[in-house]
Amino acid sequence: MISRRAVGLVSGLVYTFLLAPILVVIVASFNSGAFLTFPPQGVSLRWYGAFLHNEVFIRAFLTSVEVASLATAISGGVGTMAALYTARARPKVADGVRIAMMLPMLLPEVLTAIGLLFYFYALKIGTHFGLALIAGHILLTLPFVYLNVSSALSEFDWSLNLAARSLGASPMTAFFRITVPVIKTGLVGGCIFAFIVSFDAFSTSFLLKDIGTATLPLQLFDYLRLNFTPEAAAVSSATVFITVLIIAVADRLFGLKISRF
Amino acid sequence: MSRRVLLLLPSALILVLLLAIPYLNIVLISMRPSTPDMAYGSGFTLENYRAVLSSVRTWREIGTTLWIGGATTACAFVLGFPVAWNLARSPGKSQALRQSIVLSPLLVGIVVRSYGWTILLGNNGVMNRLARGLGLTHSIVPLMYNRLGIIIALTHVFLPFMILPIQGGLQNLDPALERAGRSLGASRRTVFLRVILPLTMPGVQSGCIMVFIMSISAYVTPVLLGGMRVKTMPMTVVDRLIDSFRWPLGAAEALVLSGIGGLVLLVFVALTSRRWNRQ
Repeated sequence: MISRRAVGLVSGLVYTFLLAPILVVIVASFNSGAFLTFPPQGVSLRWYGAFLHNEVFIRAFLTSVEVASLATAISGGVGTMAALYTARARPKVADGVRIAMMLPMLLPEVLTAIGLLFYFYALKIGTHFGLALIAGHILLTLPFVYLNVSSALSEFDWSLNLAARSLGASPMTAFFRITVPVIKTGLVGGCIFAFIVSFDAFSTSFLLKDIGTATLPLQLFDYLRLNFTPEAAAVSSATVFITVLIIAVADRLFGLKISRF
Repeated sequence: MSRRVLLLLPSALILVLLLAIPYLNIVLISMRPSTPDMAYGSGFTLENYRAVLSSVRTWREIGTTLWIGGATTACAFVLGFPVAWNLARSPGKSQALRQSIVLSPLLVGIVVRSYGWTILLGNNGVMNRLARGLGLTHSIVPLMYNRLGIIIALTHVFLPFMILPIQGGLQNLDPALERAGRSLGASRRTVFLRVILPLTMPGVQSGCIMVFIMSISAYVTPVLLGGMRVKTMPMTVVDRLIDSFRWPLGAAEALVLSGIGGLVLLVFVALTSRRWNRQ
């Protein structure tokens, strides 16, 4: 209805716009020169080697994996339980629960992190043991698990569960043999999204990290303020490749259906 | 109520203990007196709010922040609507690819994306070299370390949050409605303004609200693309908390920004609802 050609043209430009900064980082990472120049001076894996030998980045990478795994595991369980409740609650109650579960995503990340910072200091824990950090990351990831499991459950026929029960299955058996296989794609998709969101989070980690520790985005940010070598591009590209790999593998294994809204 | 309510217990605990109470605590701390040797003293005062509201610098920074947030939201809407339309109305072989391009920024960290923009927009960056190579300009065009760079990068970072809800709205919209409008003699523009936009308004509103909230509270992107030459409120707040350790003042500043941002959104929702939802 609206001129199809104009829409196509603008969309094409926007797709380019969306990919441009990511592609440019990947291209820059294969640069063999000592400085970020365009076009690159030659192709090499030199900066990936530098990354792998840079203990600071490797340690930060491992910290990120740890934090993201822990936060995702907790959100995965908690979010799934809430989604199971919402799926069979009365519509009005379900609406309320849904809004509450979405709140951590709707509130500004910086403000939530500030709130947690004050709160954990008031509890005399401060940023020690990474507790505040994990708390922040649980809040970041919870809505994603909840949303994805909820949307998988919306197509679930609860009479299947009833049928299993009437055939003599215990509630637990019915849950693991009937419900879990149905919500599996939603759960896996939600957890992957949650993991990536946590792995990439900045403001939350920035305000809540324990002294002396850093996640990968924090380390990268620190590095970028002072350095302009292509090593940062190699680190960035490595995270992009890992993300794509995780998604591809999960898609192969489970058939992903990621929904966000 | 059955035992099923127990399923909600862990989420409820997290939302109350880690979200509701900390937010109330921010309000409390914003009313504590500042002390030189501790994060905050005891007793209550409104002095912090007076200090924030009477500071010219604060108002200037709030102005900059809202300006950047508004411009980012507008850019995201103008660029996002055609893409949402394209995704909703042109299903084809490339649909899955196009959808994943739209989602791709969400899967790449905000630091990485902002970094990509610094490579593209720098004074000696890809865009400037390209422009000079093509003979479009001979001098350096400053694309970053100013508001423009921040707005470009923020639009990129938050565009998916505009596209997805609008796409959802458009998918629920029957194309026959547009044909009906056209066959009754309405111009394309009229059909867009009187049929499509009103019916997708909820999606547009939620997209705009999300993009606006996220852009006025963004921290990394303005730091990397603004190079500390553009000061937005979140930078000042973070400085207060981390560097100068003045929590009550920082809390008051954060709340004043949130309050003003919330007011702007209320006006936006009221105006758009009245303008477009009138039958």
